[in-house]
Amino acid sequence: MTDNSGSASKRFPSLFEVETPAGAEGWQKLYPYYAHISEERRPFEEGKFWFFDGMHNPDPLYPFDMIMTENWWVAVSQMSTRVWALPPAIGIDHRVINGYLYISPNAVTDPAQIAERAEYFARRAGHYFENWDEIFASWKTKAQACIDELKAIEFIPLPDYEPEHSVTSHAGTYSSLDLLKKYNRLIENMLTMGSYHFEMLNLGYGAYLTFREFCQTVFPGIADQSITDMVSGIDILLFRPDDELRKLAQLAVDLGVDEVILDAGGPSAVESLAGSEAGQQWLAALEAAKDPWFWYSTGSGYCHADPVWMTDLRLPFTAMLGYIKAIRAGTDIRRPLENILARRDEATAEYRALLPTEEDRASFDSLISLARKVYPYVEDHNFYVEHLHHSIFWSKVRELGELFVQNGFFEHRDDIFYLHRHEVYDALYDMLIGWSVGTEPRGTTYWKPIITERRSIRDALARWTPPPALGTPPETITEPLTIMLWGITQETIEDWLGVDASSATEFRGVAASAGKVRGKARVITETDQLYDIEDGEILVCRITAPSWAPVFSRITAAVSDVGGMMAHTAIICREYGLPSVVGTGFATARIKTGDMIEVDGNIGIVRILEAT
Amino acid sequence: MIDRPHILWIDEPSAVGSPLLGGKFSSLAQSVAAGLPVPMGFGITTHAYRDFIAAAGLADEVRRVRAAALTLRPEAIAAETRGLIEAIHTAPLPPALEQAVRGAYADLNRRTGETATAVAVRSSGESEDLAGASFAGQYETYLWISGADAVIAHMRRCWAGMFGDAVLSYRHEGRVIAAEGDFGICVGVQRMVQARAAGVMFTLDPLTGDRSKIQIETCWGLGEGVVKGDVTPSQFLCDKVRLSVLKRTIAAQPEEYRFDADAGGVGLYPIEEDRREQACVSEEEVIELATLAKTIEKQRGAPQDIEWAIAQDGAIAVLQVRPETVWSNRPARPAARIASPIDHVLARMSGKAVATAGKAGQ
Repeated sequence: MTDNSGSASKRFPSLFEVETPAGAEGWQKLYPYYAHISEERRPFEEGKFWFFDGMHNPDPLYPFDMIMTENWWVAVSQMSTRVWALPPAIGIDHRVINGYLYISPNAVTDPAQIAERAEYFARRAGHYFENWDEIFASWKTKAQACIDELKAIEFIPLPDYEPEHSVTSHAGTYSSLDLLKKYNRLIENMLTMGSYHFEMLNLGYGAYLTFREFCQTVFPGIADQSITDMVSGIDILLFRPDDELRKLAQLAVDLGVDEVILDAGGPSAVESLAGSEAGQQWLAALEAAKDPWFWYSTGSGYCHADPVWMTDLRLPFTAMLGYIKAIRAGTDIRRPLENILARRDEATAEYRALLPTEEDRASFDSLISLARKVYPYVEDHNFYVEHLHHSIFWSKVRELGELFVQNGFFEHRDDIFYLHRHEVYDALYDMLIGWSVGTEPRGTTYWKPIITERRSIRDALARWTPPPALGTPPETITEPLTIMLWGITQETIEDWLGVDASSATEFRGVAASAGKVRGKARVITETDQLYDIEDGEILVCRITAPSWAPVFSRITAAVSDVGGMMAHTAIICREYGLPSVVGTGFATARIKTGDMIEVDGNIGIVRILEAT
Repeated sequence: MIDRPHILWIDEPSAVGSPLLGGKFSSLAQSVAAGLPVPMGFGITTHAYRDFIAAAGLADEVRRVRAAALTLRPEAIAAETRGLIEAIHTAPLPPALEQAVRGAYADLNRRTGETATAVAVRSSGESEDLAGASFAGQYETYLWISGADAVIAHMRRCWAGMFGDAVLSYRHEGRVIAAEGDFGICVGVQRMVQARAAGVMFTLDPLTGDRSKIQIETCWGLGEGVVKGDVTPSQFLCDKVRLSVLKRTIAAQPEEYRFDADAGGVGLYPIEEDRREQACVSEEEVIELATLAKTIEKQRGAPQDIEWAIAQDGAIAVLQVRPETVWSNRPARPAARIASPIDHVLARMSGKAVATAGKAGQ
């Protein structure tokens, strides 16, 4: 890319040129019509820039899991377009290509429209900034109420005969409508939390980005992590689950049950512990920690298949075993909160003192105080929404799946995820017909072959590597989330355009956490492969989820295809002090498990030193 | 003699800030006192220079030549100074002065445990103290000088160097500095570092003036090439607060300055093939250097320009510390005027350009 004018004329492949991988023919049936590209809109769709959202959906979408992407298709977009009226940007469009989500930010270019929107925006966003703390406090209350309402939804088997009280209370509605309502409530509950999710997020990022931009002006080249460190809190909820494990490990040693847990080597310790009084005491502490802290997803929370601590105790136990061993070796495993806070304040004061003028110091003070005010929301919403709420949501969908299994629709409760939520509504109605009429519903023969076919299509899609971008590169990127979360800037696009994925041995990405190491790569494309990781390996994945925390004590660095400095991952990577480069675009496509690679988290470069 | 010493060691308490050592060497004495790793050495003081000029009867000639420099074109100066320079090289030294220099060199040998310690001999002028006038590159430095006779010969060269045409015509802010007073000169004699790598560092980003950075330039061998500019250095831009490397540019280096025993001097010699493309300092050494630079700036209270070397055994030596002159003399301008943070954030999210004063390269 020596030609400066080249980027404008250079293009990514068209969405219409993407070929269906062998064995995945007919994949379109898994997704709703509005998520597909179409010939009649070809010029519009080809003229836009589309990038792969591997951060939230590294794997091909399950049809039911589309509820998450469809939620934010509306929930994020309406904030920019209709609620805040963000002057330079409207919503973010979505398309599903070969089962993977591609998204496209949209700019507002008409100056008159920008001016009109600016008036709405200043008034509305100003109101939120002025009243941030109160709004956040009430946000937490309503988020908790939403979670409580979700917990209360229970999918129970339909009775052979309506209970007596249905008749004596003269309700006039029965178990069939109850079940249908519960399903509607489940979906509405999800969309409610999905809407809360973005109520304050864009503004939070905006305040942070503005402080970051100021820092980059006065300290050109300053590392993003230096800026984040000045702003971020230390008592954020995302660290709590791991803190609970540290406490449980300490308690195990204090109670003298550490040996039993080490011997069991995993969740089977629970049975061994039940026999002793000390063991029971520890188990009670474990139970107390579980809700809410074990509603912790090992993925982004956007996919039902990401294991959750609550229902898969392997990850928390792996981490606890490590902590118990560390305590026995005499290590203090508590997070040095006071030191972290003192270092943060010291670094902030140092940067401030290095500013050239008093006026700059005043600007720095006012921008950092606003950034620090909004940041608890940016950090903590993630636990409420993606971990706590969404993990419970998936468990509720499985409960419903179980009901379908009992009625002969599915072989396995997780088969429900091969149906889109609108198809589930149909299937549920079919089930109610069967229950009401008393004859066999069509669903008992209809869905099983479809699910078998869809499973094999999705497996074929999973073996395909989605390119990082498609379509026409944009002239400018103005949408704050695109820059903040996905780390996509003009430079990223130039890099992607300049790289030949099949031959690249060096990848540029976002320097998410400092340090430089060499080591053997471990490429993870499915969450289950996490258990294959060996000590000292470098994790290479589409996206490193923060809740993979327990494996972070075994790896020496992390590399991901997607993500910016605010990706959920980056926070934990820095916490663990591991070098990390995110947003490389192609790393999982080119790097193979066993390759010797070098990760330079200081400047955001990953090199293949020796391919296997 | 006590109040007119000819020799002052840089680790003597009275050396710190002493005008007798000139700008460069009194600054080194300050570094020694602050505990920095400075190679041992002594200054042949400005008294020594003045006593020699007086004893040789050259004082009037010195005044005449300086006055003449004001009006002469640079290319005409050499003809005026020829006689004076000849006399500085040949006039007998006062015996006490000669004894003092030979005695100091013998003491240095005792301190190093060597018989003929290799030293660097360089000028350290009073005129350098004039704020802002760095006299960058105007004085010769003589490297790898061994033996008392050679030290004395190069001391005379340094004295004569005061009357080189470039020095006499050196202008700072339009003024001919040499003509502004009867400046004396100190000659510094300092143990050579057998440098594996060397270079300079600034406690700010010289491109932008950003004080949160430390820029380190490095090369294989002695640092002369980096200062002279005939070796392209590798560059490391470090964050001063976090002491981390933000950017590195490794330059391939075909030749290095080193001492060659056969040639009996320092020269530019080819580097072996496999070493050329390698960084001459490790990541840890870069951090160690940056940490040192941060310490020095804190001690001095202002941005500094530091010459350093790393010996074969990995020990870091500070060779010179002086105030940074380019950005430090420039009035600071605020980067942005932000009245209300909320209005500013709203304006930025609206895609409005907010006036920012030009910073870089102004």
